[in-house]
Amino acid sequence: MTNGLAILAVDDEPRALADISRLLESSASVDRVATATSAKEALVSLSGGRYDALFLDVAMPEIEGMALARLLRRFADPPAVVFLTGHPDAAVEAFEVQALDFLVKPVTRERLDAALRRVEAHVQGAEARPAASADGDGATAPDVVAVDNPRGGGKRLVRVETIAFAQASGDYARIVCDDGRFLLRTPLTQLEKDWASAGFARVHRAYLVNLTHAVELRAQPNGTAVLIMRDGTEVPVARRGVAALRRRLHA
Amino acid sequence: MAGGTAPAVTLPIALDEVHAEQVAPNGAVSVHFVNNVLAAAASYVEEDPDAARDALAELGAFLTHRLRPPRPVPLSDELDHVEVYLRLQEFRFPGRLDAEVGDSDAPRTLVGPGDVQRPVGAALDGWLARRPGRVRVRLMPAGERLQLRLDAPDTPDVEPELITIDLAASVRRTT
Repeated sequence: MTNGLAILAVDDEPRALADISRLLESSASVDRVATATSAKEALVSLSGGRYDALFLDVAMPEIEGMALARLLRRFADPPAVVFLTGHPDAAVEAFEVQALDFLVKPVTRERLDAALRRVEAHVQGAEARPAASADGDGATAPDVVAVDNPRGGGKRLVRVETIAFAQASGDYARIVCDDGRFLLRTPLTQLEKDWASAGFARVHRAYLVNLTHAVELRAQPNGTAVLIMRDGTEVPVARRGVAALRRRLHA
Repeated sequence: MAGGTAPAVTLPIALDEVHAEQVAPNGAVSVHFVNNVLAAAASYVEEDPDAARDALAELGAFLTHRLRPPRPVPLSDELDHVEVYLRLQEFRFPGRLDAEVGDSDAPRTLVGPGDVQRPVGAALDGWLARRPGRVRVRLMPAGERLQLRLDAPDTPDVEPELITIDLAASVRRTT
């Protein structure tokens, strides 16, 4: 990142929008702040300029903030999303759309600065992503993801570091973690991007593995391999992925 | 029925069928509402400190009415509370509200704190959320009922909404 951050603040409440805009403009790390009072206005702004992050109100007329965040994930290079809300209960859903942060209004300067630091790290990670995906470095993966809770519905929060691997399940992914198996409504290809900096590697069309949970790489006679996980689970490694994985593991 | 009036709806105020912003356990104050009022107040701090102070004072009055132990309050006090609520909404949405609350014609009627504000808030939130532009709110007491009328003065083709707030359940509960 060579310049300060470009932020688009979106809120249908004009005074709340004025407040967050003023705070953002007075931040040393922010170069430019634009505002929109609806999701539609935000989309118009996004079509006319590039922003590093959206500070996005959750509850808005017509198109809500969550819906806009889901829409943004279809962009080739979407801006980071930081949610703003008066209602802390929306945090779980924010994790589901992989928001970078979640701020409860009114926002303290300290909390805003912390969010901006995350945005800066995210932007720097994006700029370094080609190198990051090659060497596993970087610091942009979310700490927590929200998965479908099989008991009683709702969402359950799972720490990414506890996830051993994710297996493709249609358009979604089934994750295997210390606490069990859960469905995550995100495609494996997206998780591959999101979790690259957290030590995950796509070892097979259907498997994304947290290499910190693997204890052995075992070659197979047909040129493929299997990764043996801590609990003994064997995860297949595609033939074409074996060499890259060996290089990454210095094996 | 462009420009017409929608059939009136009667809401018994014990009914908790209200907008999400106003839904809170046991009729408590909505965290969402309070936080958004505080955000609006914060926005005035530098450009208009008196307005910021007024917003905080109004919020203090709103919370005092609601957070004191459960008790019956005169309907006139509850209507004052509704006016405070509407002024707080004006802080959040400047220029969007045109509000009028009539005087109580039943001075001996007692209700629970928030029993009128909640359905008014539920209806108003729906209007503010669904439509741009100004919303006109008229709340007129008529004995143990209140007539709430909402319309969009800048958009004549939007049908007004008429709601009757029935205080009977609240009055029974508090007497």
